[in-house]
Amino acid sequence: MNLRRVFTVAQKESREILRDRIVLLLAFLLPPMLFLVDTYGSSRDVANVAFAVVDHDDTTLSRDYASHFIHSHYFRFKGSLPDLRDAERRLTDRKVQFVLVLPEGFQEKILSGRVAEIQTLLDGTFPTTTRTLQGYIEAINAAASGALQTDFLSRSLGIPREEAQILLQPIRLETRYLYNQELRNIWTVTPSLIMFTMLMAAPLLMALSVVREKESGAIYNIYSATITRGEFLAGKLLPNVGISFANAIGLWGLAVGWFGTPFKGSFAFFLLATFLYVACLSCMGLVISLIVPTQSSALMISLVLSVLIGVQFSGMITPVESMKGPNFVLAHAFPALYYDTILRGVFLKGVGLRVFWKEALFLAAYPAGLLWLSHRMFHKRTPQ
Amino acid sequence: MIAARDGRVARVIRWLRQLHGMSVKELRQLFRDRVLSIWVVYIFSLNILLVGGAPSMELHQAALVVRDGDRTTASRELIHRFQPPYFILTGTVRDEREAQDLLDDGEAMVVLDVPENFAKTLYQGEAPASAQLLVDTSRSQTGYLAAAYAQRIATRYGGEWVDRNLARRGEDPARLPAIDNQRRVWFNPNLEESWFRTISELLTMMTVACLLLPAAALVREKERGTIEQLLVSPVSPLQVMLAKVTAMIFVMLAGTLIALFGVMRPVYGVPIEGSLTLLLVLTAVYTFTNAGLGLVIATFARNSAQSGMLAVLVVIPIVMLSGTWAPIESMPVWLRILMTLSPLRHFINIAYGILLRGEGLDLLWDSVLTMGVLGAVLFAISVRRFRSQFG
Repeated sequence: MNLRRVFTVAQKESREILRDRIVLLLAFLLPPMLFLVDTYGSSRDVANVAFAVVDHDDTTLSRDYASHFIHSHYFRFKGSLPDLRDAERRLTDRKVQFVLVLPEGFQEKILSGRVAEIQTLLDGTFPTTTRTLQGYIEAINAAASGALQTDFLSRSLGIPREEAQILLQPIRLETRYLYNQELRNIWTVTPSLIMFTMLMAAPLLMALSVVREKESGAIYNIYSATITRGEFLAGKLLPNVGISFANAIGLWGLAVGWFGTPFKGSFAFFLLATFLYVACLSCMGLVISLIVPTQSSALMISLVLSVLIGVQFSGMITPVESMKGPNFVLAHAFPALYYDTILRGVFLKGVGLRVFWKEALFLAAYPAGLLWLSHRMFHKRTPQ
Repeated sequence: MIAARDGRVARVIRWLRQLHGMSVKELRQLFRDRVLSIWVVYIFSLNILLVGGAPSMELHQAALVVRDGDRTTASRELIHRFQPPYFILTGTVRDEREAQDLLDDGEAMVVLDVPENFAKTLYQGEAPASAQLLVDTSRSQTGYLAAAYAQRIATRYGGEWVDRNLARRGEDPARLPAIDNQRRVWFNPNLEESWFRTISELLTMMTVACLLLPAAALVREKERGTIEQLLVSPVSPLQVMLAKVTAMIFVMLAGTLIALFGVMRPVYGVPIEGSLTLLLVLTAVYTFTNAGLGLVIATFARNSAQSGMLAVLVVIPIVMLSGTWAPIESMPVWLRILMTLSPLRHFINIAYGILLRGEGLDLLWDSVLTMGVLGAVLFAISVRRFRSQFG
């Protein structure tokens, strides 16, 4: 392999990227934009949930109970409604997402130590939101119910509230959240989104760069030149890997600087893993570019593949432990999973090579394998 | 008079015939590209099937490691309440350092630490018997769920002791006030994740396709110069543009029908509560709006790589921030206002409204109107720009 020729191809490639304004945009604007949009767009925090109350009882206790919901900062109170029919209409019209219905006799039942049945009507159109919402409602209900029981017991047994509470809650589970004490969704999301953003951007950039020459016919110059296949591929890869690597570091800056995600691990290890991952992705783009004939199909294939791997097989959305059968196997066949695991560890847990040497090895094996494959697939002869 | 009217009718018929011819040409061109046509078939069939079958985000067998410092019946009893499907006991540790290592490695997600004297405190009943739970919350949502389920298990186990303790004090445990919350979920009673996911995926892929494909088709003609040939033929620029839209509408309607009746209904039981005709008509309107956006993009690009990239830059925010995947309520207000410009924002209302909520035009008219206006404006802009470039 003649390094001078590799360098010449790399130089030509860099110049082409810098010259085409839109390719330049794609190279340097797409990753940060994608990252920002995805981070804002994957917030799973439930907030501002509109709800209404139908209070048939209208007593001190029932109003007191409803006020727990009204004062919760997850919810936005949209007013009391006179009857169920009204409430149902609000739910259908999307004015509210849930309705709390307190039946007549609520206070009476509580005071006489019976079970008061209340009802919540929920909009199930978006089940993930609804499930989280149910969790919040359940927690508020459990707290209110527990307080009422404690009051009741301390009154009927004539003991202080603390003692009544121990009677009612003999076991206490003290929960400590590790790595993300405040359960911030953004901290969970940003490391994975570095993985996902690069998964979308890096193969695309690479795939387009070869197909562009195929489509314009400039590739014939390469076919007829003395440059070898390996030199051409290496020269193409170099600037693309470089750009993607720089981008990934930029995303790291956004995650830490803009979104405030803690970075507890070793930066050197992060750089190593990122370099290997970006090399994987660029080689993936290279293989795609050798298969497809046009830039628009390269774009489609590359994006579809990225989204498929990212969403289904990376562990970003579904943890790999809960995958079953073919999904589990497929997930281990793609590099995204290993890099995702590494990122979570190196960002939030502060663990590095000691734990993740196996993942790093996998990441290193990919570019090697894909390079071999693309070298086999690339021919300097015009296809028949 | 009659002759003049006949002439007009004849002109309209000729115009429509030309449009038809051009649309057929567009379809042929699309399906001649093998990769693209495979992709189009894939997004409406296999893709929807895969997305709907993905496991739900619920907690599934979180790896639990315990340290039992008490070694009594009570402590063992508590530990054995942690069972699949939510938890799975993967091992025991002797001290907190070992536990920390397992959490760091990701071998354990939850560590339950039952201290010495747990049973003793529980029997005496003078202080609460406490146990520690360490939860890996590097995934905030699963972490939260694990903690919540663990709390529920502990409370339920504690409940048996409550009954005993109260009976000892001569209090009837059945005579305690409680609030029993009965939930009724509308529009998706069993909270089937697959309903939501398949509809979301269908809308997402439709958006991507009907924005990217017309843009690519127009730019390809610019690139290859075939546009000049078209412009010297009897067809007008309006027809050239409209043909790309009608071809797209045909593909999208066929795709929607395949997705609905080939996958979503038979496999996942997704209901169609409202009118199918209305859904198809509005899908056509949505395609028109989106294709308009795609064509505007194409007028800004010189080659297909440029148009593809511009389209990606536009389509990703639309897909991510319109409310398909993340609840729109949780976004900042400025972003929500900005997203009213996204056609998908309105089509989400329409598609979910018709499919799951059985809504008709009486409830959906505002979304339909906004979407239609957006489409008309975008299409007008694209035709104008196209005329000024080639007219």
